[in-house]
Order: sequence, then C-alpha cells, then structure tokens
Amino acid sequence: MTTTDNAAASDSAPTALEQAVTTTDPVALARVWGFGGMTSILLGAVAGLLVGLERLDLASADVFGSADEVFQFWSAHRVAFVLLGVLPALMALATTVVPRQCGGSLVFPRAAAMACWTWLVGAGMTVAGFLVDGGLGTPGGGGQREATALTMMGLLLAIGGLLLASVCVMTTIVSGRAAGTGLRDLPYTAWTTLVGATVWTGMLGVLAANAVLAYVDLRGRPAVRFGAEDAIWEQLSWMFTHPAIYVLALPVLGIALDLVSSATRTEQANRDVLLVATAAFGFLSFGAFAQTFFDTPGTPVAEEAISVVAAFAIVPVALAIVGGLADTLRRGAGNLGSKPPAEAVCSVLAAVLVLAATAVGAVRVIAPLELLDTSVTGAHFALVLGAVVLGVGAGFHHWGEELVGPKGRRPGLFLLGGLAVAGGTVLVGVADLVSGLLDQADFTGVDLATAGNPDSGVDGLNLVSLVGSLALLGGLAIWMLTGSLHTAANRKGAA
Amino acid sequence: MLTTGFKLWFGFFVAVVFAAVFAGYTSGATETGPLSLGWKGGVGNHVSYTILVFAAGVLALFGLVAVAFRDADAEAQAEVLGLDEAPAAQHEVGSSLWPVFGALGVGTLGVGLVVHPAVFVIGLCIVAAVAVEWTMTNWSEKVSGDPAANAEARENLMRPIEIPILGTIGVGVLVLAVSRILLASSVTGAVWVATVVGIVIFGLAVLVSQRPDLPRVAVRGILFVGCVAVLVLGIVTAVSGEREFHHKGGGAHQDDAHAEADH
Repeated sequence: MTTTDNAAASDSAPTALEQAVTTTDPVALARVWGFGGMTSILLGAVAGLLVGLERLDLASADVFGSADEVFQFWSAHRVAFVLLGVLPALMALATTVVPRQCGGSLVFPRAAAMACWTWLVGAGMTVAGFLVDGGLGTPGGGGQREATALTMMGLLLAIGGLLLASVCVMTTIVSGRAAGTGLRDLPYTAWTTLVGATVWTGMLGVLAANAVLAYVDLRGRPAVRFGAEDAIWEQLSWMFTHPAIYVLALPVLGIALDLVSSATRTEQANRDVLLVATAAFGFLSFGAFAQTFFDTPGTPVAEEAISVVAAFAIVPVALAIVGGLADTLRRGAGNLGSKPPAEAVCSVLAAVLVLAATAVGAVRVIAPLELLDTSVTGAHFALVLGAVVLGVGAGFHHWGEELVGPKGRRPGLFLLGGLAVAGGTVLVGVADLVSGLLDQADFTGVDLATAGNPDSGVDGLNLVSLVGSLALLGGLAIWMLTGSLHTAANRKGAA
Repeated sequence: MLTTGFKLWFGFFVAVVFAAVFAGYTSGATETGPLSLGWKGGVGNHVSYTILVFAAGVLALFGLVAVAFRDADAEAQAEVLGLDEAPAAQHEVGSSLWPVFGALGVGTLGVGLVVHPAVFVIGLCIVAAVAVEWTMTNWSEKVSGDPAANAEARENLMRPIEIPILGTIGVGVLVLAVSRILLASSVTGAVWVATVVGIVIFGLAVLVSQRPDLPRVAVRGILFVGCVAVLVLGIVTAVSGEREFHHKGGGAHQDDAHAEADH
C-alpha cells in the first residue's frame, strides 16, 4: 500500500472550507444570503448616515469632495438596501422557511447554491465598483468609466443570482408542496413570497434589460444616450421608488400575519380576503412600467393616471391587511401575556410602518403639491425599507432556531435593536417628509440650488433625520451582535 | 374547477391588461390603439404599454400552465404518473463543486467584459467546463439507485478526460507563472530563484515521503499554498514587467541576438 492510499483511507473527509463552498444545503446557504444581506443593509445605513451628515450644510461639501461623490454614496445607499440587502435577506427565509411551510424541500438546490454564489460575486463587484469611484453614474460625469462598468456588471450578476433563486423558490411553492396542501392552504409567508416572487421576477428582468442597455452604450466610444454618466441612475431609479419598492414589503406582511397568528395562537379570520388583499398588494407593486427616463412629451409617467391610481389604491389594500392583523391581535390578546414575543412586536410595527408608507406614497403623487422630486421620495423609501428590515429581522429571530440553532437566542437584545430600527425609521421618515413639504430635493447635492432652495426649517429636520439614521444604524449593529452571539453559541455547542 | 394558481395568475393577467389599456388611454392613445395592441392607432406611453402587455402575456401563460397541471398538486402528479403517491419533488443531493465554480465562471465573464478579453475567454472556458461537469453529474445520478455505483460511473467516464486536461492546464499555468518570475528577475537573480525554489520543492517532497502518516490535509495545504504563492508571484511579476533586454548592435530583435543586462 502506498503513502497516498494510507492517507486517503485515514483522511478523506472534506475540509471545513470545502464543505462551506460546496454545500447545497439551503440552511447553510441561507446564512450566506442572510449575513450578506444584513451586512449590505448595515453598509447602506452607513452610506445613508454619511449623506445625512453632508446634508447638515446644504450649501457646501463638508464630508465629501464633490456633488458627484455625494451622489455615489446616495445611490449606493439605495442599491445596498434593495438589491444587496433586503432582497437577499428575504431570499434566506424564502429558501429555508418557505419550503418547510410547503411540507417539502427546496427544489433545484444546486441551482439555488449557484444563485447564492452568483449574487455574492455580483454584490462584491458592485461594492468594489462603488469604492473605486464608479457607481451608477454621476450627475457631473466625474466617475471612472471602467469602475462604473464594473458596478453595472456586478449589479447584473446580483440580479441574475436573485432571479435564479426566485425561480427555485417559485418552483418549490408550486410543485414541491406536500400532498393535501393546496396553494390556498399555504401559510401567509409562503403565499406572499409566491406573489412577491412573481412580481419581482418580472421586474428584475426589466431592470437587467435597463442595465444591459446602459452598459452597452457605456463601453467603447462616447455614450450616445443610455450609457451617459448622468443618465444611468434615472434608467434604474424606478426600482428604488414607488410602486416597485412595495413588493419588498409584501413578504413582510406575510411574515407579520404568520408571527401574530403564532404568538396569539389564533387563526386569521377572513383568510380568503387576506389572500386576495395580499395578491392585490403584489399587483399594485409592479413598477417596471414607471420608467421616468423614457417619458414621452406630455405628462411624466410618475404623474400619469396609472401611477396616481396605483399609489392611492394600495392604501386601502394595506389597510385591509393591517386590519386583519389587528383583528387577530384583538381576538388572541388573551394569549399574548404580559411579555409578547419580541418578533411579534417587531412584525406588527413593520406592518404599521408599511401602512404609513403607503399613505406617504399617496401624498407624494398629489400633483399640485409637486413632491415627486423632493425628499418626500426619500421619506417614502426610508419608511418602506425600514419596515422591511424590521419585518425581515423579526422573521430571522422567529425562525432563527431552524437557521442557526436553538442556543443563544437573546429576545431582549433583539427587541432593543428592533425598537431602535423602528424609531430610527420613523424619525428619518417624518423629518424627510416635512423637509420635502418645505421643498428640499430628494438628492440635495452640495449647493442650495440642487437642494431645491428649501425653507430654513430643513436644517433642524435634517439633524432629526441624522439622529434617526444613527438610531437605525445602532439597531442594525445590535442585531448583528445578537446574530453573531446566537451563531457563536451554537457553534460552541456543536463543537 | 379553476385552481388557486390559475385564479392568482389569470387574475393578475386581467388586471395587467386593464392597467395597460388604462395607461394607454390616459397617456395620449387613440380610441382603438390600446385595444388593438397599436394596430389601429397610438398606444400612448410606449414603454409603459409594452412592458404591461408583455407582463400580461407572461402571466396568462403562468395561469394556463397552472390550470393545465392542476397547480402541480401532489395528487395531480400522482394521477398523471399512475402512482398512489407522488414521488418526492426533490431528491437529496450532496455537496457539489459546480455551483460555486459556475458562479465564479460567470463572475470571471463579467470581470472580463469590463477588464480584458483574455479574462472573458477564461470565464467562458470555466462556464463551458462547469456546464459539461454539471451535466455529467446529473446524468450519473440517474444511472442506478445506488449512489456509489453512480459515482463510479461518473468517475469512469470523466476521469480519463479530466485528469489530462487539468494536468495540462495546471502545468501550463505554473510554467507560465514561473517563467514570468524568472524573466522579471535579474540574470543572476533568476539562477538563485530557480535554485532556491528547486531546493524547497525537493526538500518538501523528501519530507512528505519520510512522513507517511502526514495527514492528507497537510499535504494538500502545502500544495495549495505553494501553487497560490507561485501564481500570485507570477501575476505580480507579469504586471511589473520583464527585465530590460539590450540588443546587440541595437538592431535586430531576435532571441539569439540579444544580451541581458544584469540590474
């Protein structure tokens, strides 16, 4: 027998690194989605905080060197929250919790693994692109073209990964259900994930097409139109505003319905109404049509009747869903006890924030107020994304035992983080809403003209918004600490 | 009976069609344009209308598939297959290298598009190789019900192809990397580098042969670190460039006609 044979016999088990990168176990991959997503949200919050600091003095560049740099961080904040943060974090729950709710296992686990790694590679490239003076274009054309191209390519890969994972999740829900479980019988998280995945699969494809168009024009000779530095963001911006961002809130409403039902040990009444309402919420979230860049002469698409009707119609739909949630809370209040579960508290707060966000979204499109380009848009984004982060965090805490393990859960610390996230979101949302009513622009730049020449009152409001950003960041940091302690406790237990 | 999936997606289809027509009429379309897909008149905002109409088409297809396959309910699957119980939707699959290599290949393609065509070609090769390997893995898993026999079938088919190709690529890359290191060194330095590296490799080989109980992880670790070190040095020296070559007489640029300067 040779040395190699001896060694092979004694030591053929894969190393920890090999196991980590070759696994097709959805739970292991969910940790990559979840940790990667929450890290991106944290980085996005830091970018938002820096932009908030710059906004304290609207007339000059204090933190950054130029308006282009401010824009890079401002757009990075939105990209990090939506495509690199919340959607992957939702995917962590969609690939683990949802299959279990369907009574089966994730279909196409290898494709799901490839989706996860592709997203991770794309996210890394996107972040690298932003860091080396790229990003998604700049108003003054001051970015590096190669770095912008790298960001676009990273974004395309991230979108590709998310699309592939969505296909796996949808296929699992449709064809991987246990016998006797119809689509109508699914728990709300699984149902809203199916509706949400249908909508975001449609939208991400269009977003990828936008990115390809801009990328192709960006390369080689000077850009004709789509790849011009000052035009790229506008082509992609529809994904980060009304109505498209509502689709991120849909699974969070499903999570809230499930968590409250579980905490109160009470079945939701009017189940069919809630199924229809959540489907309607999904339909009203389809925002790929609202592409301001391709506006034809006449009324801009954001002011067209379809956008306005959608913005108003989603308010009663959200109200119906939150009403269902309130009804369950009322009927099951006796089972909650004096200390309701932290995740139920956070998920209810998230649902209320979604409702508030839809109201702000409706106010935003009232034509005579002319709020579309003001910081009301930022307030709307902050409220929706804050609610989504809160809801996703609640989901992670509730199903943390399945994702990480039973030991080391810290509900008190989690609740503290959740309250900080909720408080921070409210502060940012309210301050930016009022600033928008005082004419502050959504992107303020580094001079008063770009900032919209707002009233003097916005200075104080921007400070309040900054405090809100700090609270949000603090809450996220507490959650990361909670998650790390939870993981470490279970690692130690396993060892 | 209409299934829940059909109701969801066909309902979406109807709603999106209404949305498309509504968007058309409220953005300057003619009377018949939105109803005739633009055949008889304008549709208003082209982008909005086109995206909504395409979305409607996709959703209608989803709805029709859902109703045709009865929402893929387990009972319906069992009935189609003539079984009492539907088989598991997903068999357990073990660890696999191909997803992560596939992602790296796609990532390399992306970086190559931005940075250099050579990197793009490398990405293309990785993606093609992963496609073949992934396909063969899937094929082998259906050879029989015995995972060990399936793995053996795959090994028998793929090892005679994989080992020569990987060996050739490995040797080629290492030779290229070492040549870059030597060409970046001075004339005397190159001799020293070659001597020291040769002695280190020989010494490690002797050490490994003298320790038959050395864990395989350690051997793999040594090889991995060594290969990465050579590759990194090769890339760094390739970027920094070769040493200067002074041509005899300053004329012909022929390999046998130049003398190297030691600097």
